Amino acid sequence: MAAVSVHQFAQCITCHAWSPDHSMIAFCPNNNEVHIYKLLDGKWEKIHVLQKHDQIVSGVDWGTESNRIVTVSHDRNSYVWSQEATEWVPTLVILRLNRAALCVQWSPKENKFAVGSGAKTVCVCYYEQENNWWVSKVIRKRHDSSVTSVAWHPDNILLATTSTDGKCRVFSTFIKGVDVKKAASASSDSKFGEQIMQLDLSYSWAFGMKWSPSGHVLAYVGHNSMIYFVDDVGPSPSAQNVAFRDLPLRDVLFISERMVIGVGFDCNPMVFTADRRGLWSFLRFLDEKKTSSSAKSGSQLTEKIGKFYGQSKYGSNDTNETSRTQGGAHENCITNIVPLKKPGDTTVTRFSTSGLDGKVVIWELQSQHDLLGYL
Amino acid sequence: MANPLRLYLTCIRNTLEAAMCLQNFPCQEVERHNKPEVELKTSPELLLNPVTICRNEAEKCLIETSINSLRISLKVKQADELENILTKKFLRFLSMRAEAFQVLRRKPVQGYDISFLITNYHCEEMQKQKLIDFIVQFMEDIDKEISELKLSVNTRGRLVATEFLKQFV
Repeated sequence: MAAVSVHQFAQCITCHAWSPDHSMIAFCPNNNEVHIYKLLDGKWEKIHVLQKHDQIVSGVDWGTESNRIVTVSHDRNSYVWSQEATEWVPTLVILRLNRAALCVQWSPKENKFAVGSGAKTVCVCYYEQENNWWVSKVIRKRHDSSVTSVAWHPDNILLATTSTDGKCRVFSTFIKGVDVKKAASASSDSKFGEQIMQLDLSYSWAFGMKWSPSGHVLAYVGHNSMIYFVDDVGPSPSAQNVAFRDLPLRDVLFISERMVIGVGFDCNPMVFTADRRGLWSFLRFLDEKKTSSSAKSGSQLTEKIGKFYGQSKYGSNDTNETSRTQGGAHENCITNIVPLKKPGDTTVTRFSTSGLDGKVVIWELQSQHDLLGYL
Repeated sequence: MANPLRLYLTCIRNTLEAAMCLQNFPCQEVERHNKPEVELKTSPELLLNPVTICRNEAEKCLIETSINSLRISLKVKQADELENILTKKFLRFLSMRAEAFQVLRRKPVQGYDISFLITNYHCEEMQKQKLIDFIVQFMEDIDKEISELKLSVNTRGRLVATEFLKQFV
């Protein structure tokens, strides 16, 4: 079994992030709080509750080097939390958004973070020492619809975004005073908000985008059950579309240069691999599921209505219904996949997934022998 | 007789499995609001193509999806006037108690007999498979229920008429 541990934290989890040493997990249990749990003596204990937002927290990211948590919410606000003694103290972020914030990610150097929003804009925030707050520079008028996902390139300058208009765009987010201009780089696109590339591959909404560890390949998913791999981001990119026959994905993760794990509405992580020529394809599902079908028998509607008042339909074990029982780790859509990487590793062998069923599952790839060749 | 129904229901079930991929999505038009986009229809990029599955002219099912909500409208077979009245009354009875069902819509969409509105919150609280099972079971049972009602109306009418006319014999 690839799933190493399963833990039910809440009824539903929106997003989660791990502390730098992987001992603590911060997640949003589908409300306006962020809960931090720590593994003490083999049991998960709730140690902190971060309460500052008014609406659901849509994005959480924990910086591995700086040990700071950034949270964004549907109430158009964002806070950066730093740990002082035993408490988490929020720092204000001036986002200047007039719609909900949908996603957030720390840049590789953790001096900036990017926020995608429903206002069709992307905010890139950096810290202003004089006023002790985080200010933002906004990329406006480039997106036609909500920005669902942001991903930083390893060079800390390029930012890729996906949107519900189906397009993927790459911008330069060079900020004077924060970023150091590489003298050797010949790129003249060092203006903030300069659009390097726009890809119109998907005719449906695009989500879940990530860069490969080297920054050469970009992967994102479309709601039309396809995953797109883009090589050579720049003036002449080459893209591969991989269509699969299952339900759409929500998020992806690069395990190595040649392996990608996608998670989504199938409740089962999907493994995509690239062969030696660089052609990507779907390999298999990560979890083994047992499926069983039960015989259907007609029942009276009035009986059903009676049952309704008496019994809830939250997973009732009614033998009258035909349902495909999920034997896998997750029971509902998986929304988030986060790597558990030890510093110094170039490939990821452990990662965690969280979903609408409220579970966080940690997966280990070392036990999957057919995948070791791609690591 | 049962086979075409089975095919119709399987088709609807498969479409619902693909359509019920919903996620929480805040409103783009109004800040701090979260509305079912399929009802609002203000942002066309958030809506998917509606699918109509017709069994024949009298029976069809319209499935409209958006990013955070799904609307299923059913038109039930009504062969004669009596079935027409029975269907209307019965479905109105159910629609008025829509809170108990949670996924039912209080008014059916124009041109249909009954509508369901499923939002991302329903998918978070309840299992997707169970929701689909419920809808498909509902469609099966509706036909049975209406024919039973019709039968009982006819039986009762015959009994009452017999009793009444006995006095003239």
